[in-house]
Amino acid sequence: MAFLEMIDVVKRYPGVLANDHVNLDVNKGEIHAVMGENGAGKSTLMAILYGLQSPDEGYIRIDWKTVFFRSPIDAIDHGIGMVHQSFKLFESLSVWENVVYGREPRRGPFIDAAESRRQVAALSERHGLPIDPMARVGSLPVGVRQRLEILKALYRHVRVLILDEPTAVLTPGEVAGLFKVLRTLAAAGCAILLVTHKLNEAMAVSDRITVLRDGRVTERLVTAQTNPAQIVRAMTGRNLSLDVPPAGPHPGAVRLELNQLVVGGQNRRAVNEVSFTLRGGEVLGIAGVAGNGQSELVEAIMGMRPCAGGYIVLNGRDITRRSIAERRAAGVSYIAEDRIRTASAAGASATDNLAFGFHRRPPIAVRGLLRIREMRAWARTLIRKFEIKIASEMTRVGTLSGGNLQKIVIARELAHDAPVLIAEQPTRGVDVGAIEFIHSELVRERDRGHAILLVSAELSEILALADRILVMYEGRVIATLDRAEANESILGLYMAGGEQKAS
Amino acid sequence: MSLSAEVALTHITRRAISLVPLLSAVILGFGVCGLIAKAVGLSPLLMLTELIKGAVEGPQIFETIARAVPLTGMALAAAIPLRAGIVNLGADGQMVLGGCAAAIIALYLPAPDIVRMLAALLIGAGIGGAYAALAAAGEIFANVPLLLSTWLLSYPAKGLCGWLVRSPLRDPITAWPSTYRIPPGVRLAHLVPGTPINQGFLLIALAAVLIVFLDRRSSVGYELRLRGLNERFARYGGVALNRQTTWLMFVSGALAGLVGAIMILGSQFRFTDGALTAPQYTWSGVLAALLAGGEPLGTVIAAVLFAALQTGGFAMERSVEIPRVLTMVLESIIILFLSMRGAIWRRGR
Repeated sequence: MAFLEMIDVVKRYPGVLANDHVNLDVNKGEIHAVMGENGAGKSTLMAILYGLQSPDEGYIRIDWKTVFFRSPIDAIDHGIGMVHQSFKLFESLSVWENVVYGREPRRGPFIDAAESRRQVAALSERHGLPIDPMARVGSLPVGVRQRLEILKALYRHVRVLILDEPTAVLTPGEVAGLFKVLRTLAAAGCAILLVTHKLNEAMAVSDRITVLRDGRVTERLVTAQTNPAQIVRAMTGRNLSLDVPPAGPHPGAVRLELNQLVVGGQNRRAVNEVSFTLRGGEVLGIAGVAGNGQSELVEAIMGMRPCAGGYIVLNGRDITRRSIAERRAAGVSYIAEDRIRTASAAGASATDNLAFGFHRRPPIAVRGLLRIREMRAWARTLIRKFEIKIASEMTRVGTLSGGNLQKIVIARELAHDAPVLIAEQPTRGVDVGAIEFIHSELVRERDRGHAILLVSAELSEILALADRILVMYEGRVIATLDRAEANESILGLYMAGGEQKAS
Repeated sequence: MSLSAEVALTHITRRAISLVPLLSAVILGFGVCGLIAKAVGLSPLLMLTELIKGAVEGPQIFETIARAVPLTGMALAAAIPLRAGIVNLGADGQMVLGGCAAAIIALYLPAPDIVRMLAALLIGAGIGGAYAALAAAGEIFANVPLLLSTWLLSYPAKGLCGWLVRSPLRDPITAWPSTYRIPPGVRLAHLVPGTPINQGFLLIALAAVLIVFLDRRSSVGYELRLRGLNERFARYGGVALNRQTTWLMFVSGALAGLVGAIMILGSQFRFTDGALTAPQYTWSGVLAALLAGGEPLGTVIAAVLFAALQTGGFAMERSVEIPRVLTMVLESIIILFLSMRGAIWRRGR
């Protein structure tokens, strides 16, 4: 019997129907995958379920009782818990403090710390989520933080646990661990909603799958009776090939050269003596678990972070001490990892976002003055070319789904036509259809002789696109591999810091 | 830029772009003030009519315009950096330095009258700008937050000018420390005879038109706006933030200095210690800029509105003895309502 039901849920945003009479039901003890491309309405649906948004029509029923959530507090009171893609943790506090926060066991007016620690330890043991209650969260690896998020939900007596793209930040080993935990929780009677765009994960762990496209449910599938091709068809409405054509024949001239690059101070070197060369027509992949110096490396190349040692040569010019603008002018463009915080201005229109970087030269600017009509035409062209779903070019990009916002960023950066492209997590949180699109754009760049530095925590992406692969671990390059000699298990081993030769 | 106050200010900036919320805040503000007036036994209707009459009726309209000139200037001086999310709280000092420099040039530069006047305006603006740029340098090279440095640098500027007119430059026959009177040939001419409106009006109007135009149509204005929306994005796209901060502060301070020079050459005719800051144009200007979220046209509208409220308030106090402090309450309530809007709006969704 369905434990949780969302019935005929409708949510409208200006110009977009985000959820169009969506029905979703989840049973106790079931792992239910919610799949769909970016902009399909998964995030909206989960936001409604978690009380972050209220539906325009439709309602939610738990245990046959209709419920209304005015805020996540109401949702939590009804036993709904959510593990967000970006964790909501106090980094300077300990594990137990994060878990009990807001519902602390008390002794008189004070928090009963000993009792809190005992409860947290008991909870972690009961559910097979090993964690040190005394550890400071800031010092924990990502996989453990995720465990902590799950513990937080369990502490609040969660009956429905929503996980939003939970594997995006994990190593393959950690993913297996997470799935084991999810199965245990389900066996204990918890209903689990897994929001994901990864076919293999949904196939591996879920019992049933609900697929959304353009705000509507397109398929309800029993996992044991379906296959990836059927899911992809339901998500995209067409048949896709995720295979990437092989590399072009010969790499061209050296475009980017790093020599013994160091970022960060004496005590903590975020990037430690990294060297490589990147040639035209080549994709160099940088693999590694997030937080091992990849972001710092890229920011140092772009000039957003100072180099403490070594040098960078871009298109034959030493740019180690140059400004960001000078580096961009010297021929590098950059798809930044964090599209919301870094690579866009949410409060500005698509026109303003797409014109940035082109706003000082013709045709968009003449003698320092903007030509608004040209600017809007430019935006419309890119929106059409990159198939961005947006009401108009004057719409604020903060209203867009992750995938469409990512397309805005990619459209703008590719439009620079720079000989070197740095693509940092270009498909993070992006659905299959958009991944195919983005990958084919990257391949096209490569085939035109441009050099691509691809930083990704997604092994499948690295293996599909990169001609050569560097693995970063704790700021160092600990392995350099050709695509032919790399596979998921070898890379996984290096990503975990393993020095031993894998065969 | 790490102080939470600055974050709060940019927060207001983001939410205060269109004119609709501005109008509703104004109406709400009038409503609350009416209630206050009623509570203490004054007639709200009388207050409103006297306020409006005092602001626009007959020759009062010229008073309003004359007050709007420096207020708009100071409001734009605050709005220019605010557009990029930067707060200049030191316009007081920049204005005083500009005014003081203008008085000195106007009195002592050995040159024909017209040259003296132009030099006084230019150098007044230049000194105000340079002083503001100093605060920018402090942030860039020594990480002193602009919010603090601009504000604190006001005091030495005011102190220096106060000392100048107390000892070396003092006109001994005045009761209050001030310079000698500026000769008539160097003063700004009146535009409408018999009113306090002078050529300063043209200068500030020109500046306002220029700023509105550049904000909407220039590459530079576009960079400012995007920085105000997301500073990290602006940096990522190649905007040299430090250089931008420096010239922004220069332009802001220069405008404040120009206002100081205009007031000296146009209405006060001598630099008197404390006379430029007494009407508190700087703070009314900061409020007007905040009210419009740094958007230049909105800032001008808000500044003119405040000028009207202030002249109306004075007149109201004179004619029907309703204390003009109520108009200051009104200004504050408008700002508070406008800042509150964000929170209400978000809950509504």
